[in-house]
Formats: sequence, C-alpha cells, structure tokens
Amino acid sequence: MTSYIYIYRLFAVKTPRMSPETLLVLERLVERPTDWRYGYDLSRETGLKSGTLYPILMRLEKHTWLEARWVATEDGVPPRHTYRLTPNGLELAKTQLDEARPRSMVRQPAFCNG
Amino acid sequence: MRMMLETHLRQAATVLLESAIRISPPDTRDWGRAMMGELNYVEGPWTAVMWALGGASVLTKHALASLFIPGRHGEGFVPDGGLFAKSASLRKAALAIGGACALAALLFFAAPPFRQAFRVALKPWHMASGNIQSGLKALAKRAEVRHDAEGLAFCAVRLQDPRESARLAEEAVRLDPNLLWVYAVVGMRNPGLSETGPWVEKLQRWDPQNALFHLITAESIEQAHFRRGVWSPPTKEQERAWQSAMVGAFQSPKFDDYLDRVAELNRKVVPRYGFYDPYEVQSREEIDLPVSAFENSERFAKSLLHSGAALEASGDRKGARDKYWTVARYGQLIDSQGRTYLEHGMGTTLQAMAYSQLRASSEKGGNQSETALFGYLAAKFDPVEGEHPGFPGELAFGLDISRRNAAVVEISGLMILIFCGLVVVATSILIAGSRRGARPAAQRAKPLATMVVLTSAVGLLFSSVTLYLTYRPYWYFFQSAILNGERTQTRDLRIFLMYTQTLPGIPPRHYMLLDALLYSRSPSFLFYFWTGVTLLGVSGLALILLRHLLGRPHANATL
Repeated sequence: MTSYIYIYRLFAVKTPRMSPETLLVLERLVERPTDWRYGYDLSRETGLKSGTLYPILMRLEKHTWLEARWVATEDGVPPRHTYRLTPNGLELAKTQLDEARPRSMVRQPAFCNG
Repeated sequence: MRMMLETHLRQAATVLLESAIRISPPDTRDWGRAMMGELNYVEGPWTAVMWALGGASVLTKHALASLFIPGRHGEGFVPDGGLFAKSASLRKAALAIGGACALAALLFFAAPPFRQAFRVALKPWHMASGNIQSGLKALAKRAEVRHDAEGLAFCAVRLQDPRESARLAEEAVRLDPNLLWVYAVVGMRNPGLSETGPWVEKLQRWDPQNALFHLITAESIEQAHFRRGVWSPPTKEQERAWQSAMVGAFQSPKFDDYLDRVAELNRKVVPRYGFYDPYEVQSREEIDLPVSAFENSERFAKSLLHSGAALEASGDRKGARDKYWTVARYGQLIDSQGRTYLEHGMGTTLQAMAYSQLRASSEKGGNQSETALFGYLAAKFDPVEGEHPGFPGELAFGLDISRRNAAVVEISGLMILIFCGLVVVATSILIAGSRRGARPAAQRAKPLATMVVLTSAVGLLFSSVTLYLTYRPYWYFFQSAILNGERTQTRDLRIFLMYTQTLPGIPPRHYMLLDALLYSRSPSFLFYFWTGVTLLGVSGLALILLRHLLGRPHANATL
C-alpha cells in the first residue's frame, strides 16, 4: 500500500502538462525572464483568454516553475498580480521549448479593442 | 448613454468575478483577486465581461472540485472549506432542505400503496437472495396455530413446495370439509403428488360433471412416465387409463377450475392477515392449468380428428362428424367456462382444429352454406390470425407500458435504498466531524458530506414520488381485485408483476443478473445502460474515496 501511495504522489508532482497553450505562455515568459509580467499582458501576447491562461499560470505556480507577487497600485485600485519564471522553471521551460517541435502558432491578441 | 452602458457592463463583470471569488476555495481565491486586479486594465467593456466570464468559470470549476476533493487545499486548508464553508447559513440551509426532503420521503411509508410498491420494487433482489415465499410460509404457521382452515387453504394453493402444499390442503379440508375444492387446485398444479388419486375420487363424488378431474388424472398418469427425470414408455394399462381419462374430460358437460373460489378466499384471508403481497396473492391467483394439460387435450383431440378422418375416408361421414363435434364441443366448453389465458387459448385452438375438419367435410359433401359457416368459425378461432378471443380483463396499459413501469418501479426502489444509505453515511460523517476533537479527516469530509446529504435526500424524495406515482394504478387494481372481486384489470397487474420479477432490461426468462450475463445472448439496451450507469457511479465513488484517503501534495504557493 505504501508503495502505491508513493507512486501516486510521484505521479501527482510530475511536471505540468505541456499543452500547446502552456508552451505558448512559457515562450513569452522565457523571452524576458527577469521581467515581472501581468496576466492581461500575457493574455494579449499569447492570444489566450482568461479562462485558459489562468489555469496554466496556476499549474505552473503549483509546480514552482513560476513565482508570483502582488504589486501595489494607486489608491482605490486593487493591486496587480505579476509573474515570472523561477530559475528552476526557466531552465525546465527552455528544455521543454527545445524539445517541442517548432510551432507556427500565430494568434490574434485577445481582449483588445478593434 | 454609451458611457452608462459601459459602466453597467463593467459593473456586471466586477459583480460576476466577485461572486465567483466568494464561492471559490481558499487556495484559489488569490487567483480570483489576481483576475479582478487585471479587470481594471482590460480595454473595452465587452472584453471586460468576457475576461470576467473566463475567470469566473475557472473559479467555479475549482469551487465544484473542492466539494469532492477538499484535501487538495493542503496546508492552506481551512476546516469546512469549499462551497458550504462560505457561510454557515448556507450549510444549515442545505442541511435543512436535505432533512425536509428525507422526512418527506420517509412519510411516504405511511401510505399503504407506497409500502406495497416498495416491497414489489425489491422483490427481484429478494428472490435473488433465495428467500422465496418466506411471507407465505410465516402466514401458514400463523394459520396453523389459529386452526384457520381458510388461511391454510390460501397457503396450500400458493406454496410452491408440493409436499407442504398437500399437507396444508389436507389440514384445511379436515378443519372445513367445504374446502374440498382445494384438492383440485393443488392437484391441478401438482399432479405428480401421491395424494392426487384419492383426492380425485373424492372430488368426482363431490362435483361429478367437472372435466377438470379427468385432466388431473390424465396428467398424473403422464407424469408417472417421468419418474426421477427419466422417461419410460407407458404400459398398455397406463395408455388405456389415459385414454379413459381423456374421454371422460371430452364428454364432461362442465369445466370449473375453481378460480372464483380462490378469489373469494383472497377476499377473506388477505385482510384477515394483512397479507397485501401482490406477488403471492395476485400473480399466483390464476395459475393456469399446467401446459401439459393443454398438450394432453391437444394430443387427444388430434387422435379424435385423425380417427374421424379415417372414418370419413371409409365412408362413415356421420361417425366422422361426431368425432369432430366432440372436439369442437370440448373446445367450446373450455373456452366459455375457463378463466385463464391458457384455458381460453386451449379452447379456441381446439375449436379452430375441429371447425377446419368440419369445413373440409362439408366441402366434400357439397354443402355450401355449412362450408362457409365452418370456414368462418375456423378463421375466427384461429390462434394466430383469428379474432381476439375476448379474454376477461383487457389490458389497460399494454405490454410495453407495463414493462416500462416495472423497470421504473424496480429502479426507483433500488435508488431509494442507495440514497437512504448515502444519507445515513453522510449524516454520520457530519456528526463525527462536528464533535470537539474530531479528526481532521472527518472535518475535511464535512463539505462533501453536506453535499451528499442534500443531493441524496433530494434523490430520495424524487425516487419516492416516482415509485408512488408509477405503482399507484396497480395498487388500485390489486385493491379492487381483492376487496371487490373486480377482475377486469388483473391482467395488467399480473403482467406488470411478471416484469418486476426480473431485473430491468433483462429478458423475463433470466431471473438473476448472472443468468443474464451468462445465458442471455441479447440483453436489451436498458441492461447495458443501467450496467454502465452503475459502473460509472461505482468508479466515481472509488475515485473520490481514493483522493480523500490519499490527499494531494501541497505546492509551495508563494502568493
């Protein structure tokens, strides 16, 4: 039983699922690894809608590929959440992107006027 | 105007996202706030609404998942987390609704139709357990203690154990000699009993014109060839005795299967003992003559028709027609005085055979009008293409509806049991989790338990209402048959009961699920459907339990 639990836990902490959308997000994050990025900006750059983008960010953060912090804004406006890859996440992301075959995913930015 | 619309749309997006954050589990709430923070920077009101919709869908998904997988919150777990943790009043309201539904469902048991429906619904499972006729056996014991002749007779005509049935019949007649007819019913169903011979002698003295006793005698001779499951050819003496019995049957002016007396016995005994079991009372009320009695009659009728044809060939037309008319009269007798489906079927088949021969005979004789008349009668009584012979008690619902109703009743009864079990287990978990010093696992399970109580109680009420409404017409049929002797719709009830003896979607000949799997070459769609639903449910429960037991490793959240 113990071995089964161990296997189960190993299974649970494996690397996040590398969907094309996840690779797209990683691609953008790897481009400027030291910058803290906003969710809406990532959405516009990748063309992913909030319902797709945030589960990816949550998954990356859960697997410690991504770190997040709050950034204070002007009074009365809620703080913003920003993200960037952790050093470990950056290394793994590069590996994953290298392994993935070149993609030609061209998407129109989402959530923009016009 | 446009500004106002934009403002309203942005407000709607904010409210939507806030609501989603409110119901989301603790570990995803920060992510909700993150989406909310970005909402202020999304350009365009419609885009903001779409952003909020996407975010709300993510948070709602996590809220729903938290109901089933509370352990995923790891260290961030707050006892009572999940949808019902957002407010104690919500949880209380859920429990109150669940309690009210469960109570309403239990109140159905106060209604006699529902109690009967519930018993009927669980009958196939009861039969599968091998506990057959336990209620009837208990009633027989009570009747013996009371020295109740009618109670004993009631059990004698229904028990499937021939020896016990014979013993009770003997006891009933000893206590009340007017119940002598019980020998006929028991003998008709168990012609192989050693008591049959003496019984038939007594019965023939009591009701000398009845064809039934001759049929019982013929059948007991027939069964003598199958001692210990091995067929042995009849001796000449046996053959003569069989012929003599069948001649007696075909010459009898009366046929009475005493089913009216059985129905009368029902009316007295069922209320006396409160034995409202439609399976035992109604489905076995009209157990037909054994099929072999039909075979005996058909075999003898064919021999008469053949001998008639031989006479006709030798020029004895009158002698031939006498033989044909003997068969026709016997068919008329059974058709007009029989009370069961098989008896009517037997009567019409024999008439069709006889009228066909008479038509052919008239045709040979050149009698046009007789040929037309017998041709019409042969066609009318044709068992396949003839007119409906007009059985007592036409079907009100039809076979398909009865089959569907039987499946609904069975499934509803089963679901009541399952939901009751779930309510009890979930309530126990809630009680255990509410105690001081309760184990974290018990506390963690509380949101799930609340959800299970609510949904199971609603399911319980729904199943109870379905069972009650579906079975209610059959309860009326049963009541009117037992109390008022109204037999017009007992066929509906009997067909419905026949279908409820099998599991939903399984052909009636397969009484057990295993039988269906092993021997049924073509179980119906319903069978596959319910097997699929059951397997899916069991797999889902197993998954939920597994995840509860193992929990999930906690990610190092840095938010």
